[in-house]
Amino acid sequence: MPENIDVTGARRDQPRRGQEHFVAPVDEGGLGAVDAVSTTQAPKSLWGDAWAHMRGNVLFWVAGAVIALVVVVAVAPGLFTSIGPRACDLSQSLSGPAAGHPFGFDFQGCDIYSRTVYGARASVVVGVLATAMVVVIGTIVGAIAGYFGGWFDTLLSRLTDIFFAVPLVLAAIVIMSLMSTRTSFTVALVLSLFGWPQIARITRGTVMSVKNNEFVTAARSLGMGRVGILLRHVLPNSTAPIIVYATVALGTFIVAEATLSYLGIGLPPSIVSWGGDISKAQNSIRVAPEILFYPAGGLALTVLGFIMMGDVVRDALDPKARKR
Amino acid sequence: MKIRRYAGVTTFIVAGALALTACSGGSSGSNDEPSDAAGEATTGIVSVNGTEPQNPLTPGMTNEVGGGLAVKNIFSGLVYYDSEGASHNEMAESIESEDNQHWTITIQDGWTFSDGTPVTAESYVKAWKYTALLSNGQNQQYFFHDFAGWSDTEDSEIAVEAVDEHTFTVELIAPSADFQLWLGYSAFMPMPDVFFENPDIYSDAPVGNGPYVVDSWEHENVISLRPNPDYKGPRTPKNGGIDIVIYTDENTAYNDLLSDNLDIITNVPSSAFATFEDDLGDRAINQPAAVVQVVQVPEWREEFQGEAGKLRRQAISQAIDREQVTETVFGGTRTPATDFTSPVIDGYSDDIPGAEVLQFDAEEAKRLWDEAEAMDPLGADYTLEIASNADSDHQTWVDAVCNQVRNALDIGCEFYPYPTFDEFLNARDDASVPGIFRGGWQADWPSMSNFLGPVYGTGAGSNDAQYSNPAFDEKLKEAGQAATPDEATALYKEAQQILFEDLPGIPLWYNNATAGYAETVGNVEFGWDSDPILYEVTKSE
Repeated sequence: MPENIDVTGARRDQPRRGQEHFVAPVDEGGLGAVDAVSTTQAPKSLWGDAWAHMRGNVLFWVAGAVIALVVVVAVAPGLFTSIGPRACDLSQSLSGPAAGHPFGFDFQGCDIYSRTVYGARASVVVGVLATAMVVVIGTIVGAIAGYFGGWFDTLLSRLTDIFFAVPLVLAAIVIMSLMSTRTSFTVALVLSLFGWPQIARITRGTVMSVKNNEFVTAARSLGMGRVGILLRHVLPNSTAPIIVYATVALGTFIVAEATLSYLGIGLPPSIVSWGGDISKAQNSIRVAPEILFYPAGGLALTVLGFIMMGDVVRDALDPKARKR
Repeated sequence: MKIRRYAGVTTFIVAGALALTACSGGSSGSNDEPSDAAGEATTGIVSVNGTEPQNPLTPGMTNEVGGGLAVKNIFSGLVYYDSEGASHNEMAESIESEDNQHWTITIQDGWTFSDGTPVTAESYVKAWKYTALLSNGQNQQYFFHDFAGWSDTEDSEIAVEAVDEHTFTVELIAPSADFQLWLGYSAFMPMPDVFFENPDIYSDAPVGNGPYVVDSWEHENVISLRPNPDYKGPRTPKNGGIDIVIYTDENTAYNDLLSDNLDIITNVPSSAFATFEDDLGDRAINQPAAVVQVVQVPEWREEFQGEAGKLRRQAISQAIDREQVTETVFGGTRTPATDFTSPVIDGYSDDIPGAEVLQFDAEEAKRLWDEAEAMDPLGADYTLEIASNADSDHQTWVDAVCNQVRNALDIGCEFYPYPTFDEFLNARDDASVPGIFRGGWQADWPSMSNFLGPVYGTGAGSNDAQYSNPAFDEKLKEAGQAATPDEATALYKEAQQILFEDLPGIPLWYNNATAGYAETVGNVEFGWDSDPILYEVTKSE
């Protein structure tokens, strides 16, 4: 049976008997006012729209507050505690909370509250640095591959595939164990070295779809150079998915740093980090399991903040994926 | 002997595998008759935990705990050690020398091996030459390293010669007043002719001359030792025999001990460290062993050279609260060090002049450091590195020590990890370690010289800090030529005074032996080598 035959057996694309029009003429339907261009309202942009959407989302404010707190703690830990994270007194080993020491002491007799506060910096610095580097590398590679196409694309895409095939943490473990000096910067560098392929792929896809838009054709027909079009028109219209991915990636880089520090090949012990503290707390897990909770809690809260923020931003920037 | 040794390499102990009582020391002279131990002879069979011996039960091959316990009870050497680490003649009639370098040894008449053949001077000479010959591949080859003619690179015969049936001579590379202290070690046992004809019997029914004979050996299960009726030495068994029960899991052994199915445990499993002293009460053994842990101070670092360097070494030493670290980090299974040797060594004392530098005193430490800074400033952002291998758990105590150093001296202090023990040893050998580093020494035999010469003598094999002080070398030489072991001990103490001034190594603590026994047995003592002295143990049936 032909698909476009309805129950009455009549073909839908044919007017029914006695029917003259499918749609009312424009001037009769009253839709003219709706379709008319408003000349008094400010034009809506993707960003304005997204902001309006985010403002109304409770998750945005929660995630924003968490991130703001973590950043303030990372920038100025001295505001929150006057005790140094490395002022340890072995005789206090595993003592419980006391006045001025709300979380108690770890095995080495260090103040856990102070260590948790100071641990934020390492995580935030590594997360932000790694994300920044990944965005720079990934965007450059993805944009060139997507925009210029041809053998650029073939070459860069295969390169991306090769790096993509290497698991991030595994590669970082191998490289970090070869490093003689380890700082926040080297950890971030190693993580970004193997973290950029995802963002390169996303950028490439977005650039490819954006470059076929009419405004690109228009710019080209007006005689604009290819690089100029890429920088002025294509990239600015491709940033939304990059921002979404970067926000989520920041959380995962913090986790990766903690993993490396936990394994003892991330940040050196002279830099207080949550991963390192989790590793140390593990040794006394049978006698004092609560010690593990504080650095792990700090880590979980921070990562949760960034991942939630990523979620909210994705919802706002990508109306198609918006939850209803 | 628990650890495989490499010639010329400081031995490190990882496990708390050593057991020992007798922490007082310096009491008896080395050739006194042993005080008559309490307890009448009994007939019960004493069971003790063990592991399956790695090798046939021969003195030349056995260098691990599993076989060691059996070997030391089925063989008798020239001397034996009492629980205080002092040596007493067993088979020896006399051990004499004019110059402490050329020794003449006379053995007692009438001793036989358990196959009936007599023990003669030749039994010693052949056995020692066999073990010391490189190509025979004997695990104990290293222990003849002070004998003239010994080599670990080519086959060469050591200078041991039989004079007559009961006399033989030994030539050493240098005078050693404490030579007789070595001779109780199992590498120096005699071997019967049957060993050279048919060594295979040592995998099954070893022939020895000790207080016990192997009655039966069920592999992977139990080695049954029964008193040797022909034994005529001083180590007369006070029990009806020994069963060395093979366990593959120390926890099982410990549970058996608690339920009286096992009489003696030589090594408490780490899972029971926290509880075993409560479980066993006064039947728990937790006392220093013949292992001392130090941090060595490299001579090649400028900050530790000269007068300022000496002050810095003292400052670091006094900044460390050993009591606190051994108690908290090691749960009491280490004992704070008070000298460069060990409390189980005959002649040990904790009041050698200069030893107060091992006492924790943060203010004095800071004062010493500041004094050094005034002479030769390093600046406030100086960071002291403490290096160690990271493949076993050293970070915890290094962190603890670093925290104390940071707090006391107001300088930086960091753990400097080497991923593996091998890399750490290599870095020590080629003097590339960027700071002070962990070192440890386990004695080959209970003599003070063994703790000093190989580690701090100029150019010695394990002198990784490259310490060199002619006055110290001279003192060691003098002690080696001393007329009696007692005189030698006095000189070794003077040598230690020099070490306390120079601090080429900063003694930290002694490893403890952790062991225990059940209510079923009595008179249990542990020797200097952390093994129970089994012939003295009493058990009624």
